[in-house]
Amino acid sequence: MAIEVPVRMFRYKAGGEPRFETYRVTVPDDANVIDVIEMVWRQDTTLMYRHACHHASCGTCAVRINGYEKLPCIVPVKEALRGRSEITIEPLRNFPLVGDLVVDVAGFFQKQIASGLVITRPAEATLDGARYQPVEVFNESGGLEARPYNRFENCIECGICISACPTMAATDKFFGPAGLAGIHRALQTTDDAQKKSLLLALADGEHGVWRCHSAWECTEACPQNVRPAEAIMALRRELIIHKVKTLFGMGARR
Amino acid sequence: MSAPHVIVIGAGSTGAATAHDLALRGYRVTVLERGEIANQTTGRNHCLLHSGGRYCVKDQESAIECIDENLILRRIMPDALELNDGLFVALTEEDLAFKEKFIAGCEECHIPFREIPVKRALELEPFLNPKLLAAVQVPDGVFEPWRFCLAFLATAKKNGAVVRTFTEVTDLIRSGSSITGVKVVDHRTGKTEVIGADIVVNATGPWAGEIARMGGVDVPVAPTAGVMVTVNRRLNNMVINRMNKPSDGDIVVPQRTTSIIGTTSWTILDPDQIDIPPDHIQMMIAKGKELIPAIEHTVTRGVGAAARPLIRKANADEREISRTFECFDHKYDGVEGFVTISGGKTTTARAMAEKVTDIVGQKLGISVECRTKETPLLSYRYFYN
Repeated sequence: MAIEVPVRMFRYKAGGEPRFETYRVTVPDDANVIDVIEMVWRQDTTLMYRHACHHASCGTCAVRINGYEKLPCIVPVKEALRGRSEITIEPLRNFPLVGDLVVDVAGFFQKQIASGLVITRPAEATLDGARYQPVEVFNESGGLEARPYNRFENCIECGICISACPTMAATDKFFGPAGLAGIHRALQTTDDAQKKSLLLALADGEHGVWRCHSAWECTEACPQNVRPAEAIMALRRELIIHKVKTLFGMGARR
Repeated sequence: MSAPHVIVIGAGSTGAATAHDLALRGYRVTVLERGEIANQTTGRNHCLLHSGGRYCVKDQESAIECIDENLILRRIMPDALELNDGLFVALTEEDLAFKEKFIAGCEECHIPFREIPVKRALELEPFLNPKLLAAVQVPDGVFEPWRFCLAFLATAKKNGAVVRTFTEVTDLIRSGSSITGVKVVDHRTGKTEVIGADIVVNATGPWAGEIARMGGVDVPVAPTAGVMVTVNRRLNNMVINRMNKPSDGDIVVPQRTTSIIGTTSWTILDPDQIDIPPDHIQMMIAKGKELIPAIEHTVTRGVGAAARPLIRKANADEREISRTFECFDHKYDGVEGFVTISGGKTTTARAMAEKVTDIVGQKLGISVECRTKETPLLSYRYFYN
């Protein structure tokens, strides 16, 4: 079955004024909001929007749907229409606006580089958390070697937490929820003392964990259950323990 | 004299890998993409780093390309890959009868493989259909398509390439019998401009026919759509393939925290107008459950469809068309300065780039060796650095 969806779409081109334009599109009733955006594009191919995978892995399509940060590729149209007569779609906040729904994510990815988060992690046997033992897998020479299965990290670098973060709204220098969560994950996955020390210094810095206002909006908005706010609190605890130890001469070196 | 300028139209896997190869060989490169990187065919593909197993019986040329490129990508791509191999599983007597052909195909295409006992396969993949009769392990892998393209483009940018997204080619500029540039509209501003080039490379996959027509030539591309259904649980770590000839819903690819069931295949006229037939989604789930019954207990998380750029052959069913690629130098159509590269797979993008960059070199009388096989790519994040 098809449904007709009125869409209030944010439009902006460099040099022009931002405005909302209303479109009416028809999509299957089990469609997701990304399909609605695509149908608007079919009517008006000057619409700029980012998208690639359509299954919440690339992280490119993040926008605000009815005021909340979402991945339109996994939000059903029916859900977006619940209790309202039209869907409002706007770009993420706290990023430089490029045009229409597109924001500039370069600064965000530069922080991701600094966080040192490795994109793959050991895979679970099930999502209940049990780990596989090393298994024999083929290597780049076509021979077999033993190692655990791996998978991509939970964080898809979509920028939703940046848009939802009130601290980020105050200063774009803040390292941000995704970056700090990345530092937390990177600390868990490295045994390199020097790297750990650098990561802790970054978290402890002027734009690090102490800037966070503890609004927990990031954890609320994250579509991948990364829980950046919990990671920030864990980093604070780690830094306090470290400082106390240093104060009493129990660990002069980071 | 400054290096020749090459425009690459399209920033899917073919365009991204081509930009990298051209930049590495010293060309000035401009990539023009009408939307986001990998926003169509590549972005919405199955994320499968092919071992070649899927094609080793019916399409050996493509299977050999796949295994060769699979092993190269493992060496040059620093991230954006999950490498847990794949299993081809037999569930019926008919599948089991295919096993001998499958193993012979792996041997003929030099695809590493090993048969593993059914009991061991179920230990490794506890959600597999317990009725399985045989399992063969091959070096399938999984990539993240958008980041896959960014890795190539990040490296191309480091070597001087300019990548312009949201910049749509609306026409080719022709002078006599040569293409000398392109006309674009920049969707950021709505402004149009003309960009000159010594060679224009058409790397637009299923849109290759449309771009070629702007240059007055024909390219036999048959856009063929396929549906992917992603569920909200990761039920497997290895890619699970049905041990039989390729058919609808015969593969479940794990990625990140999800599993992706694919795929169907139907010919379309316009790759911009793909409407997913509603029964395809139900069919994917039903067929996927044959491989992994626990799909029953999952929720659909995302559904996508995009067009494959198959090279058209007379009277061939779309499942029978080879997945190999073709490079068309349009001088044979009477048009200079214009080349099309299409067909192929994301897995074979580097090889496609090597071929088209060789042809660009021949056309310009420049002979520089390809070095992409041994040149490590930058991490995808450096695209933004």
